[in-house]
Amino acid sequence: MLRDITTKTLRDQGRAFAGWGVAIVLLVAMYVAIWPSMRDQPAMSDFIDQMPEAFRNLFATSGADMSTPVGYLQIELLSFMAPILVILYAVTAGSAAVAGEESRRTLDLLVTAPVSRRRLVLEKTLAMVIGTVGLSALLGLALVVEGRFADMSLPTADVAAAMLHLALLGLVFGGVALAIGCATGSPGLSKGIPAVLAVVTYIVNGLGGMVSWLEPLQKYSPFYQYAAHDPLRTGVSWPAVVVAFVTVVVLVVVAVLGFERRDVHN
Amino acid sequence: MGSVITAEGLTKAFGATVALRDLTLEVQPGEVFGYLGPNGAGKTTTLRLIMGLIRPTTGSVSVLGMDAWRDAVPIHARVGYVPGELVLYDRLTGYDHVDYLAALRGGTRPARVDQLAEQLDLDLRRPARELSRGNRQKVALVLALMTEPELLVLDEPTGGLDPMVQRTVQGLILDHAAGGGAVLLSSHVLGEVQRVASRIGVLRAGRLVAVERLDDLRAKSLHHVEVQFAEAVPAGILDPVPDLRDVTVDGSSLRCSAPQSSLDAVLKVVSAHPVVDFACAEAELEETFLAYYGAGETDAA
Ligand SMILES: Nc1ncnc2c1ncn2[C@@H]1O[C@H](COP(=O)(O)OP(=O)(O)O)[C@@H](O)[C@H]1O
Ligand SMILES: [Mg+2]
Repeated sequence: MLRDITTKTLRDQGRAFAGWGVAIVLLVAMYVAIWPSMRDQPAMSDFIDQMPEAFRNLFATSGADMSTPVGYLQIELLSFMAPILVILYAVTAGSAAVAGEESRRTLDLLVTAPVSRRRLVLEKTLAMVIGTVGLSALLGLALVVEGRFADMSLPTADVAAAMLHLALLGLVFGGVALAIGCATGSPGLSKGIPAVLAVVTYIVNGLGGMVSWLEPLQKYSPFYQYAAHDPLRTGVSWPAVVVAFVTVVVLVVVAVLGFERRDVHN
Repeated sequence: MGSVITAEGLTKAFGATVALRDLTLEVQPGEVFGYLGPNGAGKTTTLRLIMGLIRPTTGSVSVLGMDAWRDAVPIHARVGYVPGELVLYDRLTGYDHVDYLAALRGGTRPARVDQLAEQLDLDLRRPARELSRGNRQKVALVLALMTEPELLVLDEPTGGLDPMVQRTVQGLILDHAAGGGAVLLSSHVLGEVQRVASRIGVLRAGRLVAVERLDDLRAKSLHHVEVQFAEAVPAGILDPVPDLRDVTVDGSSLRCSAPQSSLDAVLKVVSAHPVVDFACAEAELEETFLAYYGAGETDAA
């Protein structure tokens, strides 16, 4: 388990991952358990319809129908809770990668080993990617498997597509955390800035359809790439995947260059 | 073969604080170089520059013929480092650390590890969070020594160790140098390095103020001289003798500190008067060191 930086980092994340995994499985179980009563309550759909439009845009994917399993999950889980969980996990991993080890001072051990700073950052990045993709995959698996118990027919391919977009959404903010942590060494900044950024871009995406001056900004929001095309119904949007992927790659390059150029703090 | 460490005009500033100013220094193979200075003098800064953890503001430092910042990876493969503020992974055991760092060096657990642990009386099976400061320090020493590096860079490595273990560590350092390896050993007290160092450098407020062979320092070693005369002697009686320190003449008694080279002249002056009592004792090397390189500025902590 201590063969390289990636496996060592995954081992460190192991406990956290187990905790997050249990939380996700239970969360999905809860939503699935509530589903039958939701389905039989047309009032619920009316309630959503009657919500102020701004509110509905912020907390639900527009046009989702609460009386279908897909619409229900979109509104209840994928619009809000799932992004929060995955983004939190990725940002924590991205911040811990360099800034976390640096503030705990264990980074000296790695940097004075015969390992380049570039390799160090890339191996840490790989661990973040594996963890984030793993968590998203676990969520998708929980949805499909647990959904069966409640007669929710969820198209497996579309769930997989939604999870791909969800993982990329997490990695964009995890990448921001990584880049800031690598450039500054500050755990506070590398968690705080992505958190603020996530809130702002969430709001921009949610209100972009209604507020005219926000509209041109909407498609730059990672949440727009995540869900504007409605992946649970339409599957993968390759342009959105490419945009998110390129963003992550650029952030990792920034992380490497930032860390290669600066002093390790003591 | 050339120098193991060559620093030229090496300067490091942190914002407005200049931690190290224009350091020029060479360390040769087979040499143990004692790097001395009070807390805050810039020792850790120098060692971190050598290890490529921080980048020089101006000047350069090369290790084994390579640039410490640019060529950090090949250098690290041949250097062992014990950081000043040592931190290990809390949940990992000593063996975990050994295996992890051995893997990062592209190998497996070196055979030497168990022998080192035995010499240091260290249990590598315990997680780091359960270890005392001294035992963590021992783990760090095992990590630095296990690959038989060509250069050891040790930042106050015996702090926190009891005197017996300090001796063992000093033995390991001497063995390393005897095998042709070089050592840069920092400390804020001479006592920790005087048994092993062949040369010492004295750093004060970021400047290297002296480099001296330890044998030369020993030759300058001070002797405390105390004389009781039968009658009062003139206050300026010792004025003709050079290099004396702390001269006090009080009626018929005289006291001074004299380097070995001045003892003969002191005796000749003294013997011109009737002497009742005479004592001469060699001072600790530490005292000589402080007399030459600044008492009061060396932090005893
Ligand atoms: N990262 C840093 N940022 C700002 N000042 C620093 C930093 N590292 C060291 N210093 C300052 O540089 C000086 C030398 O410190 P240091 O090299 O740790 O001394 P020593 O190891 O001899 O005790 C001190 O004044 C210290 O406060
Ligand atoms: Mg220090």
